[in-house]
Amino acid sequence: MKNDKNKKKMGRSYWSNIWRKFKRNRLAVFGLVFVVILIFLGIFAPWLAPYPYDEVHYEAVWTPPNRQFLAGTDQLGRDIFSRLLYSLRNAIFVGLGAQAFITFIGLTIGLSAGFYGGTIDNILMRIVDIIYSFPSYLLNIILVLVLGRGYFSIFIAISATGWAGMARLVRGQTLSVKSRDFVEAARASGASNSRIMFRYILPNIIGPVIYAIFSGIPGVMLLESGLSLIGLGVRPPMPSWGLMISEATGQFLYNPYMLLAPAGMLVLTLLSFNFVAFGLRDALSARE
Amino acid sequence: MALYIVKRLGWIIFNLLILSLIAFALIKSVPGSFLELQILLGQAGTTATGLTVSEIDKIRGVETEMMKRWGPTVPLWEQYVTFIKGVVTLNMGPSFRWPTQTIEEIIRKTFPVSFTIAVLAITIAVFIGIPLGVIAALKQNSWIDYLVSALVMIVSAIPNYVMAVFVIFLFSFWIPILPTYGWGHPKNYILPVLAMSFGPIGSIAGYMRTSLLDALKQDYIRTAWAKGGTERYVIFGHAMKNSLIPLVTILGPMISHLILGTVFVEGMFGVPGMGQYFSQAANSRDYPLMMAQTVIFGLILMVMNLIVDIIYFFLDPRIRISRR
Repeated sequence: MKNDKNKKKMGRSYWSNIWRKFKRNRLAVFGLVFVVILIFLGIFAPWLAPYPYDEVHYEAVWTPPNRQFLAGTDQLGRDIFSRLLYSLRNAIFVGLGAQAFITFIGLTIGLSAGFYGGTIDNILMRIVDIIYSFPSYLLNIILVLVLGRGYFSIFIAISATGWAGMARLVRGQTLSVKSRDFVEAARASGASNSRIMFRYILPNIIGPVIYAIFSGIPGVMLLESGLSLIGLGVRPPMPSWGLMISEATGQFLYNPYMLLAPAGMLVLTLLSFNFVAFGLRDALSARE
Repeated sequence: MALYIVKRLGWIIFNLLILSLIAFALIKSVPGSFLELQILLGQAGTTATGLTVSEIDKIRGVETEMMKRWGPTVPLWEQYVTFIKGVVTLNMGPSFRWPTQTIEEIIRKTFPVSFTIAVLAITIAVFIGIPLGVIAALKQNSWIDYLVSALVMIVSAIPNYVMAVFVIFLFSFWIPILPTYGWGHPKNYILPVLAMSFGPIGSIAGYMRTSLLDALKQDYIRTAWAKGGTERYVIFGHAMKNSLIPLVTILGPMISHLILGTVFVEGMFGVPGMGQYFSQAANSRDYPLMMAQTVIFGLILMVMNLIVDIIYFFLDPRIRISRR
C-alpha cells in the first residue's frame, strides 16, 4: 500500500486519496486555511503586534476599538489587539507543543504495549487506566501550583495527564493491525521488532492518530484558557484568552468589546481546528 | 457479574490510593505552605478577615488541631496516614482557608450544589439533544440536518465559560430578567445550568445522529421494513432502542466531566460548589481541602465509569456473553 510500485498501479496513494476526500469538504478546507493563518499570525506575533503586550497607555484606558487600537484597550490601557496576538502565539505553543508531547508518549507506550503484549502490556495499560481514571483538571491545577504559574508549567501539566487517551487509542489500533498478514510476512522475512513497529504497523495506524492529534488540540487550548481564567494559568502581564476573559467579566456591561474580542478569538481558533478534525475524520474513514 | 463488580471495586480502591499518593506528593511539594506562612505571622488560620470573637476562639482550637495533623514536625508518612484515615473515617479536620469549617462539612455542603447543576444540565441536554439528533438522522442531508450538524460543531468549540459569559450577557444586559451572580434562590440555578448544558446538547445530538444513522443501515431494520413495519414501529421500536446504547456510555463520563468542569464556571456565577472551592483552595494553598477534593472527584469519576459499564452490561447482550 505504501511503496512506490503500488502507488503507480493504484494511481493514487493513501495520502493523496485522503487529501482528495478532504478537499471535497469545503468546511474542512476553510478550517485548514484558518489554521494556517492562525499559526502564521501566532508565530509572527512579535512582529505583527502594533504594541508590546504589556505596554500601558494610562491616557487611553478602556478605549473602544478605533484606528489606533484596533480592538480597543483594557483597564490598564494595553492594546487588546496585540494581547490577542500574543495569546494566540501562546495558545498555539501550548496546543501544538503539548499535543506533540502527548503524541510522542502515547505512541511509544501504546505501540510497545500493543506490540509486545503480555506482561509489558498489562503493566503499561494498568498505568494508563490509573491515569485515565484521575480527575485530570484537578491534577493539572495541582501540577501548575507545583511548577509555578506560566506557559511552561501548563505545557508540562497538560502533557503529564493527557497522554493516557492517546496511548489507549494507539494500543487498540496496534492490536488490530498486529495480526494482519503483512505483519506476519514482515516477521517471516526477518524484519526486526523495531522495523515492524515503525515501517509496518505505524503507517497503518497513523490515520486515527492524526485525527486524534487534531481533535485534541482544541481541548488543550481550552484547558490552558480555563486555567488562566481561574487565576492558575499564565502569570500576568503575559496575556491569555482565559485571563483576558476573566479580566473582562466584571466590565462587560460597559466595555463589551473587552470580552467579545478574546472570547471570539478563542472560539474562532477552536472552530478552525475542529473543522479540520471533522474533515480529517470523514476523509480517513475508509468507506467511499 | 458480582465477581466483576468486586474486582472493579478493588481496582477503584487501588487507583484511589495511587491518586491520593500522587496528590499528596505533589501538593506537599508546592512551594509556600499556608501553615508555615501562618506560623510566621503567628496566627494560624486567621487569614479570613472580619471574623467574630467566637470564631477566633474556635480558631485557637483549630490551630492546635492543624499543627497536630500537618505541622512541620510531623513526619510526611504520618501526615499521609492521617489523611487517608481522615478520608475513610470522614474526619478530615479543618480547612486552612475556611478554618471554622471542617473539610467534610465543606464537601457535604458543596457537592450537592455541583451535582445538582450537572444533573440538571445533563437532563436538559438529553431532552433537547436526543430529539435534535433523531430529527437530523431521519431527515439526513436536509437543511435541518445541516443546521444540527453545524450546531454540534459550533457548540463543541465554545467552552462553557465562554457560554457562561454569553448567557450572562443575554439575560442581564439585553433581557435583564435573571440574576447573574449570587446564590440562595432557585433562580440562581438557571444561568449556570444553561451555560453548562450547551456543550452536552451538541455532543448528545451528534452522537444520536451518528448512532441512529448507523442503526438504520443494519440488516434487522431492512427486515423490519420488509415485514411491513410502519415507520413509527421500525424507527422507535427497533432502530432507536439500539442506537441509545452508545449514548448511555457517554452520559456517565459526561456527568462526571460536568461536575469537574464546573471548576471554570462556578466562579463566574458565584456558585458555592466544589469547583469554586477547589480553585479557591488552590489559590490559597489549602492543601488538606485540595487533597480531599481530588480524592472525592477521583472517586466520583471512577464510580461513574463503573456504573456505565454495569448498565452497558445489562443493555447489550453481546457483552454479557463475551464476558462469561
